[in-house]
Amino acid sequence: MKRIARLAVLMGMAVSGMAISASATRASSSRKPVVAEPGATVDYSGTLSLLTKFGVQQLSPYFVNAAHAYETLHPGVHVVLDQQTDDSVKDKTKTLVASNSLPDIYFSWTGNWGENFVRGNRAVDLSKVIASDTEWGKTFTPAAVASFVWHGKNYGMPLYLDAKFMGYNKQVFSKLGIGVPKSFDELLSACDTIHKSGMTPISIGNKEAWPAIHYIGQLLAYDVPEATLEKDFNPKTATYTDPGYLAALNQFTSLVTRCTDGGNMNGVSFATAIEDFSNLKSAMYYQEIIEFDGSASAQTPLKQNDFGFFVLPPAASAKGDTKAIEGAPEGYMINTRSKHVSLALDFLKFITSMSNAEALSAPPYGQPSAVIGAVTDKNSSSSVVAGMVDLNATPFLMPWLDTANTPGVASAWLNGIQALAGGSMSAAQVIEGVATAAKADADR
Amino acid sequence: MTTLAVPHTGPRVSATRIIGRTLLLSFLVCLGIVVAYPLLWMALNGFKDNEQIFGTPFSLPRHFSWANYVNAWNHGVRSYVITSLLVTISSGICTVLISAWTAFGLTRTHLPGRPFILALVLGGLMLSPTVALIPLVQMFQGLGLYNSDWALIILYTAFRVPFTTFLIRAYMIDLPAELDEAATIDGATDSQRFWRVILPMCRPIIISCIILHVLFAWNEYIFAMVFTSGSDTTTLPVGLALLMARHSTNYAEVFAAMTISALPIVVVFFATQRYFVRGLAEGIGK
Amino acid sequence: MKAAGSRAIGKGAGVGRTDASTGRLRGRAREAFRQCFSFRWVAAAVIVLVWFVYFPVVDNFIISTTRSDIYTGDVSYVGLGNYSRLLHDKVVWSALWNNCAYAVISVIFQVFGAFILAGIIESLRSDFWRRFWRALYFVPSAISLTVTGLLFYFIYQPQIGILDAVMRATGLGALIQPWLGSEHTAIYAIIAMSQWQGFGYSTLLFAVAIQKIPGEIFDAARIDGIGPIRRIISITWPLTREMTGLMILVTITGAFQVFNEVMVMTGGGPNNASQVLGTWVYQQGFIQDDFGYGAAIASVVFVATMLTGAAHLWYTKRGRVSW
Repeated sequence: MKRIARLAVLMGMAVSGMAISASATRASSSRKPVVAEPGATVDYSGTLSLLTKFGVQQLSPYFVNAAHAYETLHPGVHVVLDQQTDDSVKDKTKTLVASNSLPDIYFSWTGNWGENFVRGNRAVDLSKVIASDTEWGKTFTPAAVASFVWHGKNYGMPLYLDAKFMGYNKQVFSKLGIGVPKSFDELLSACDTIHKSGMTPISIGNKEAWPAIHYIGQLLAYDVPEATLEKDFNPKTATYTDPGYLAALNQFTSLVTRCTDGGNMNGVSFATAIEDFSNLKSAMYYQEIIEFDGSASAQTPLKQNDFGFFVLPPAASAKGDTKAIEGAPEGYMINTRSKHVSLALDFLKFITSMSNAEALSAPPYGQPSAVIGAVTDKNSSSSVVAGMVDLNATPFLMPWLDTANTPGVASAWLNGIQALAGGSMSAAQVIEGVATAAKADADR
Repeated sequence: MTTLAVPHTGPRVSATRIIGRTLLLSFLVCLGIVVAYPLLWMALNGFKDNEQIFGTPFSLPRHFSWANYVNAWNHGVRSYVITSLLVTISSGICTVLISAWTAFGLTRTHLPGRPFILALVLGGLMLSPTVALIPLVQMFQGLGLYNSDWALIILYTAFRVPFTTFLIRAYMIDLPAELDEAATIDGATDSQRFWRVILPMCRPIIISCIILHVLFAWNEYIFAMVFTSGSDTTTLPVGLALLMARHSTNYAEVFAAMTISALPIVVVFFATQRYFVRGLAEGIGK
Repeated sequence: MKAAGSRAIGKGAGVGRTDASTGRLRGRAREAFRQCFSFRWVAAAVIVLVWFVYFPVVDNFIISTTRSDIYTGDVSYVGLGNYSRLLHDKVVWSALWNNCAYAVISVIFQVFGAFILAGIIESLRSDFWRRFWRALYFVPSAISLTVTGLLFYFIYQPQIGILDAVMRATGLGALIQPWLGSEHTAIYAIIAMSQWQGFGYSTLLFAVAIQKIPGEIFDAARIDGIGPIRRIISITWPLTREMTGLMILVTITGAFQVFNEVMVMTGGGPNNASQVLGTWVYQQGFIQDDFGYGAAIASVVFVATMLTGAAHLWYTKRGRVSW
């Protein structure tokens, strides 16, 4: 026993010794940018690999069906799908990037997340085929296409749009005589009324940390001018000195105290919060368009007719863009190392054809397609259609705070807001933490 | 129900002893409830719906219908189970065979440099999988095994060989040397000694090792999450997490799936406990 | 037990000598060939381990001296830069503290608690019930962590969770916390779950060790009129010392490598309060794209594990009991 243990320890130490003495240098590989040409001939043969974010049971058939249809159309092509979920796709993507093994087509968010692929020359330049003045580009909502532009070039194709709205129970509101709040103060007083009736005004589960960040994103879009936000998203130019930051965080704090169950939220999962809303235990839940059909359906106690939504209202003092909506398209990029760039492009065109775009917008998927005219009364629920109308009218799509920022800054936001909600940090400390993280990123 | 082994009962049975015995028993029962109740709860939740799970999580289901279990099985759990079975069985066979060979080489042959090899094998016990994750991903990509069942079979084998060898070696080392002498006199080669004499004698510890490996491989999460993707190579733990993703999750189905995944392992363990304990008893702690 | 171990290594060599003298092969060259040929028995394990375990770990140490950008593939050598950064990282220290808390609490419950429980179970007279309790307590160890994590989420849930319900019923309502949501309690809530899942495993191993104590020793003690509690203290405890040492080693090294439990329950939150070294490696490497720094934190895990190993050596060096 003793000897075994000693040998094991010595062996471990030998490993560290080997490591320290080893001095391998890893050469960085510089690659030339790849540009997709509009007229390129497509060779319909070979294997096309695809990393999607549709891993959940409800969504996964979309790409499976599309792949089958494409394979039937072009028998020489074999499509291999790697379907991840919202949570797993981040880790998976980074693992694939680190090991230089991204598939031909891969999922991307907008903001810093997508920019990384551009910076690393891993995304094919699609400007000549998808810029808003091109034939294919014209079929998309312009704001969605623009969200995938970096340094004046298009690097991604938007698949669907998403944005955050406050879903509410119309029956509760009318019973208590509350109208749709027009300002942040009206929302707070509506909360007080609902609280008095014995109901939780807004259910929020922040164990995952991103739910509260979505409130912050929307409030920042209202309280901080767009130009300042854009400047602060870049760590090299960030200052975080605008007073709007403190204002937004203080608004969030009053929302936490007056509308929610308070510090408990960090111990509650977002899944519980949405169930509370569907099960009539709370009057409001802040949600994405793609959650509308889940909050109120034929199976839930909250009936579809009782479901309504409004944009989280801005405070009267807001100095930013009060017409802004927090949301972003999500899309796909083509790997510069792909051997089948034109085939990949052809497949992307295939899944954004009108019939496939309509299928995506309709149940059971219910993902509002970025293709113009794909979301209609015929294929989508009335709330999704109404949400898209609001979305198409907004002048500024505020990107998700956790994908717009560098990972270090995003993490400072996520942790800081959890601490703010839990009461262990003040609003000023949170902003200070974010600024420090930005500085650390800039120095690196 | 249970009797404590109190020797020579009679005059020495005192009131304190009876109280003590009752206390011990109720302690065992309470602990048993703490262990068993959550598992029962998991199985019962498979009969509820989302509203009931989140609204009154600890009440009994309103009605018993197997629908959630059937749906869970059809919505992917079947394929997860098949993958898990394949990976668990293959890696179990590889691990036990390689470990038994190694233990044999280390204890019953005249292998040069034995302490060094022993240290090499058991040193693996001290190394954590997280530390090796990124290099491993690059390596498997290079080998073309990324996102295949092979990746998991190889990794589960590599990371379990040290522990399994440790157990089998401890058992083998105590088998009498006369066995080898007798076999050698009879003209047996090393291979014959291994397959016909030593390996059969190690059966108890081999069974224990197989059970321990099954427990590990059936529930392993990090490697399965990082090294595989797509429905054909998803194992149960990752599959369960997939069922529970961000939007519109049917939790009743998730709980049903969890019960389906836990049941075989619990049954296997109860069925084989006797051999499991015997093998460990004879092998461990040497 | 210990004596058997050291003897056995000697005995292994003995087999070789006996073989050589009685075997048919006598020439020195053939003997040398045969010795090398026995390498085939360990070849598979050596290849698999060097290739898939040692090489990647060495690679990790090399990575820890670099700063890399996974997207561009640029790598620069920074020497010990990541290690000096580590010293100023508050989360590393709180994670280390959490790992230590994990280790201490796990040793209390999964070593000492499990020892006492095993003693109680093994003192039962009925073989059936002994097997029943051992198996029942073991069951949580056989359940996937994905399952346990979701289960304990519902147990810890504010207001409707079963823990809060029990606390209210027993008059402890004032002490209720958002267990997983509070920076002060999150890590302990996770540790508690871990004890639930792990104590049966070590109880079983202790039960096995207690079974190996020859029954005559207990009989002799009984005849001498030594009570059950003293029997545990003065017979069972010293005679299972090897197992205790092993369990402490396994438990502490396990506590420094813990990852899944925290990942499934809180992901390290709220506000990094429940981060452990393993999840902080992951957070830095996979989420913040800083593999070099992540690898440096991983080496802290490595050092902690090695120190535990060294301490275990020291522990086993001290006198041992054999029979």
